[in-house]
Amino acid sequence: MTAIVDCKGITKHYRQGSIDVPALRGVDLAIEQGDFASLAGPSGSGKTTLLNIVGGLDRPTDGTISIDGQDLTALDNEDLADLRLRKIGFVFQAYNLIPVLSAVENVEFTLQLMDVPAAERRERAKEMLQQVGLESMENRRPSRLSGGQQQRVAVARALASRPSIVLADEPTANLDTQTAEDLIALMSRLNERYGVTFLMATHDDRVISRTRRHIVIADGRVASDERRTLEMAG
Amino acid sequence: MLVGLAWRNIWRQPHRTALSLGSIAIAGTITVFLLALQQGAYGTMKESVLKLMDGFAQLQPPGYADDPDIRKSIPDYGPLIADLVALPGVTAATPRAASYAILSNGPQSYGAAIIGIDPASEAKVSNLGSTVTAGRYLQPGDENAVVVGAGLARNLKLKPGDSLTMLGSAQDGSIAANILKVAGIFSTGSPDLDRQVVEMPLARFQQDFAMSGSVNLIAVSGERLSDINAAIPSLARIARKHDLVARDWTQLQPALHDAILLDGSFSALLYVSLVIIVVFIILNTLLMSVLERTREFGMLMAIGMKPRQIGRMVWLELLFLAGTGAVIGIAAGSAITAWATRQGIPFPGAEALFSQWNMPSTLYPQLSLLSATAGPLAILVSVAIAGLIPYARVRRLEPVTAMRSA
Repeated sequence: MTAIVDCKGITKHYRQGSIDVPALRGVDLAIEQGDFASLAGPSGSGKTTLLNIVGGLDRPTDGTISIDGQDLTALDNEDLADLRLRKIGFVFQAYNLIPVLSAVENVEFTLQLMDVPAAERRERAKEMLQQVGLESMENRRPSRLSGGQQQRVAVARALASRPSIVLADEPTANLDTQTAEDLIALMSRLNERYGVTFLMATHDDRVISRTRRHIVIADGRVASDERRTLEMAG
Repeated sequence: MLVGLAWRNIWRQPHRTALSLGSIAIAGTITVFLLALQQGAYGTMKESVLKLMDGFAQLQPPGYADDPDIRKSIPDYGPLIADLVALPGVTAATPRAASYAILSNGPQSYGAAIIGIDPASEAKVSNLGSTVTAGRYLQPGDENAVVVGAGLARNLKLKPGDSLTMLGSAQDGSIAANILKVAGIFSTGSPDLDRQVVEMPLARFQQDFAMSGSVNLIAVSGERLSDINAAIPSLARIARKHDLVARDWTQLQPALHDAILLDGSFSALLYVSLVIIVVFIILNTLLMSVLERTREFGMLMAIGMKPRQIGRMVWLELLFLAGTGAVIGIAAGSAITAWATRQGIPFPGAEALFSQWNMPSTLYPQLSLLSATAGPLAILVSVAIAGLIPYARVRRLEPVTAMRSA
């Protein structure tokens, strides 16, 4: 399979005053096309740091990382922003929709940043909302949507630019059980039906149990990387 | 995209936005009104002073202003006056001759400026006639009549109908002497003018002072001072043709011009202070808003928005805020000023002060494009420049740091 994300020897150190705190201690990881992967580990294990580095939001102290063969460490901030726009979709724990835009406008937003013509982006945004089952709520602003609905809009936004990979940071943490189940089912369906690659940092067993690849980070290293069949994922 | 987003963003905190808009709008309204009042006051002051004696411009022999010698004269001025009144904006031109003389009434003697005027054309340039408080002003056909300032009349114990003796030096060096009859007494409110000026018919003056039909200057007037200011280049061209110089109002009344400039400078300080206060209020509000939305900016960067795009969006928010406030300020300020222009602003108790410049105690603001827009636009431009601070701050944000902020 083709590696969408290829991390080699990734380290990340933070400075806390005069103390050097290692967050990642040499991570080698390849995320392949069509992966539906969870990234788990105890708090402080480095999973969010790794997700940030994979997403081009943060830079490694050492090591190399490439997305679709493009070396992220060689890019400046503007180019990194462009790469995030075109190749990476983000789903956050706190939804992070733009409050002054309606659901469809939120989904359209990244397409606007990509200079997609108005008619095409509106069509694609509506199509995405349809995929996540929110076609009847396209004109509602986030404040008039439930948490689960907002997260589904966030998923639609992440997918609108047809990214190489969707990175989700604790996507179900703020959702009740049923809503969380629905969201996992949605992402799983998108993965199976359209081959969208997902990497989700999570503590949530409901998410972990549905992924076909389970990566555990401990003390800044990959402690285990397990591939499972769909039946095992349940 | 950024424009629409920025516009919606400013309405996320409607109360805060309303307060910010209110600050800008009130400051804008104040500047519109005060600037219009100031312009109105300056306009009234200039026109009142100039209409009293000088006219809006004068044509004089070279060096006459510094050394008003009766021998510096303009012969054959008829065609010159015809040329002047033919100019666009010029409604009247009147010839004058002037000298100094000793005036006596019985044992009382005082020195005074004697001005020979043409009563018919003078009334179109000077409104001294309207300040006559006893007797009457000079009329065409008057021979030996004079009008005397109230202060001088008091000193010489004169009243209308009395005679006074004039003794001066004529243009050819001979004695200029005559007995003149007081037709009227004027009171301009200007103590200097009332104490030192006497007007007499030009024909009599030319005869008494051996002027051989010449005059010392031509005073010019128009409907408005601005008309004559616009005609100054043409006046100067005609003046050069006759070996004369054209003097505009700033040269005729340099003290008034300097006083207006000084007052304008102090007012500018006031306006600048007002603008700075408003800019700080708005900037503080926006920086607070930037701080509150740092996490959101991090999210926007995460989904692919470039820091400069976010910076531009924040700057646009500031421009919308300042622009909307400025428009409200211009509208409210213009409406209030327009009302005040019709009603007038009375300044009770200032009559004595204002009368020094022959001004009424009610002032009328002068609403113009400048007065309506200068203040609000200054606020808008200042806010736009100050907005580069949050712009720069946003541009320095790193996505992870921003997303971690509370």
